[in-house]
Amino acid sequence: MKNCISCGMPMMDVSDFAMGDVDKEYCIYCARPDGTMQSFDEKKESFTNFIIKTQGLDKSVAQNAAEALMRKLPAWRGHFMD
Amino acid sequence: MQNKRQIQKEATREKIIKTAIRVYAENGFNTPTSVIAKESGVSHGTIFAHFPTLNDLLLCLIQTFYDDIGIKLHNLSKSGNNIAGLLQMHLNVLEEYEGFYKRLISETSSLPDEIKNTLIGIQSTVSKHFSIVIEQGINKGSIKNIPVHILFNTWLGLVHYYLQNSDLFAPNTSVLKQYKNELINNFLELIAK
Repeated sequence: MKNCISCGMPMMDVSDFAMGDVDKEYCIYCARPDGTMQSFDEKKESFTNFIIKTQGLDKSVAQNAAEALMRKLPAWRGHFMD
Repeated sequence: MQNKRQIQKEATREKIIKTAIRVYAENGFNTPTSVIAKESGVSHGTIFAHFPTLNDLLLCLIQTFYDDIGIKLHNLSKSGNNIAGLLQMHLNVLEEYEGFYKRLISETSSLPDEIKNTLIGIQSTVSKHFSIVIEQGINKGSIKNIPVHILFNTWLGLVHYYLQNSDLFAPNTSVLKQYKNELINNFLELIAK
């Protein structure tokens, strides 16, 4: 089993992978329509909006949580160096 | 391939994790690590060999819970989406970690930000699966058209109220085990159109 490098979702079968390609390291939810992976800013914004939509949290709290959760994921470690 | 030493090291780490989850559930997150060492049957130094700081230990425990609930809900979504099955699985996982989870939600304000944010991540995993089945129900006309976050927070609020007052609802036993079906069935009645 792989985990999406961008959001951490478990990827267990073909339908979980971006474009149904099991060689990809990211999931369907982290892919753009053309199959490329969303950027850091796109992912942070979509994650923040998702937290607000489904949990109703304050925007700044949701932004902080999104960034803290992304900090642990392999795709975004480079953004938090220095 | 792991050698004998690595296998033993992994087993010790697992033992510390399981014990810490139980000890924190029973006594709260202020419990000294020396108690966890004693209960695990290892030296105090062994705890720090595996978890250099208290924060590392707490993060590992909450991540264990995070991974477990994530995989169980993900697997469930693969076998078909329905709200009753999701709520059942949610409470089944919470029941497994009941004491630990109760401490987490009761002591959140005193925990480090990293732990608080991981807890938001856990709720996000649940809310992701919750929002998928709820939106399907709203589109089909079987669930009331109420914003997803209100429905999710209503569910979580109900569950947390029973957990935080478990001494009133189910002294000396698992409140989730005792009230699981009642909470699920009545929540489904409340949201049905």
